[in-house]
Amino acid sequence: MSDQLTLSAETREKAGKGASRALRREGRIPAVIYGDKQDAQPIHVEERELTKLLHTGHMMNSLVEITLGKDKIRTLPKDVALHPVSDRPLHADFLRLAKGATVEVAVPVVFVNQEESPGLKRGGVLNVVRHELDLVCDAARIPDEIELDVTGLEVGDSIHISAVSLPEGSESAITDRDYTIATVVAPSALKKSDSETDEDEEETEGEEGAEAAEGAEGEATEGENSED
Amino acid sequence: MLQPKKMKYRKAFKGKIKGNAPGGTTLNFGSYGLKAMEPERITARQIEAARRAITRHIRRQGRLWIRVFPDVPVSKKPAEVRQGKGKGSVEYWAARVKPGRILFELDGVPGPIAAVAFERAAMKLPIKTKVVARLGDTSHLGA
Repeated sequence: MSDQLTLSAETREKAGKGASRALRREGRIPAVIYGDKQDAQPIHVEERELTKLLHTGHMMNSLVEITLGKDKIRTLPKDVALHPVSDRPLHADFLRLAKGATVEVAVPVVFVNQEESPGLKRGGVLNVVRHELDLVCDAARIPDEIELDVTGLEVGDSIHISAVSLPEGSESAITDRDYTIATVVAPSALKKSDSETDEDEEETEGEEGAEAAEGAEGEATEGENSED
Repeated sequence: MLQPKKMKYRKAFKGKIKGNAPGGTTLNFGSYGLKAMEPERITARQIEAARRAITRHIRRQGRLWIRVFPDVPVSKKPAEVRQGKGKGSVEYWAARVKPGRILFELDGVPGPIAAVAFERAAMKLPIKTKVVARLGDTSHLGA
């Protein structure tokens, strides 16, 4: 189960981009707490504190207790808007939680026993289709991560949601289909071993040859010799 | 090299690259990515050179995604030709890249290897870039 994180906040008096930008200049991030059939509460939090929580890697699937004056509000982070270039947080959304509430959260997936998979041992690549699983669970019992065992997986095998035993009290939010979480795919070297020699020739031809390599098809047909 | 299979118009205006990337700024496929920090037209040749630099370094492990596509035809007049007489012929293809755009993504390789692979790819590109990872993953730092 995820740890409970804490964050101190202050009430935000003014809304809008001018006030929000002024806050950001002072190292504060505008945020909002909503839900539980109450009015939305605009707040602002310390940027450094929020960044620290973000970099724990499990903030989005942990309960965050927000200290607002004398009140302590139990929330679940729903969204953190990041700047597209600098990746600094711009705004955060927190969902106020009632007692016994069920929530939908994205829980990260961790793949264990990769050494025990014959497919991966032979050079196969674990192609992760979903890095996170959308689960519906009790707010007090959100799993930290979902461990998936890849023991015995061969090249071409895949793990579907139906094969995963979820922790007690959790169920998948997507129920209409048996979606794929990860597959073990053949490495590019095995797939394209025939064309390997052609590629080596191409590279020695220089620029003219490189133009002819239009059919190289992505990353698959790379020769082993290194120019570096 | 990457280029469109068919096109609606043979030649395009030069255009300007303004503002930050409206989308494609977060990791969608892999665990590590190379993010553009400056606006620039990146040619198909540069994308291919960067791709080769990455695949050489990761040595057939892992999986690579290219998140930009050169869909802008860039024309050029031949040497020693007087001005006028219409626009030159298409010389190469380029992708218009805005700051914040993820150019490449990698998965299935350790963080330090991904970081070095991207560093080598960045040398082939005409812009400043940075290596990004999923939140909470710091294994690529200090590689």
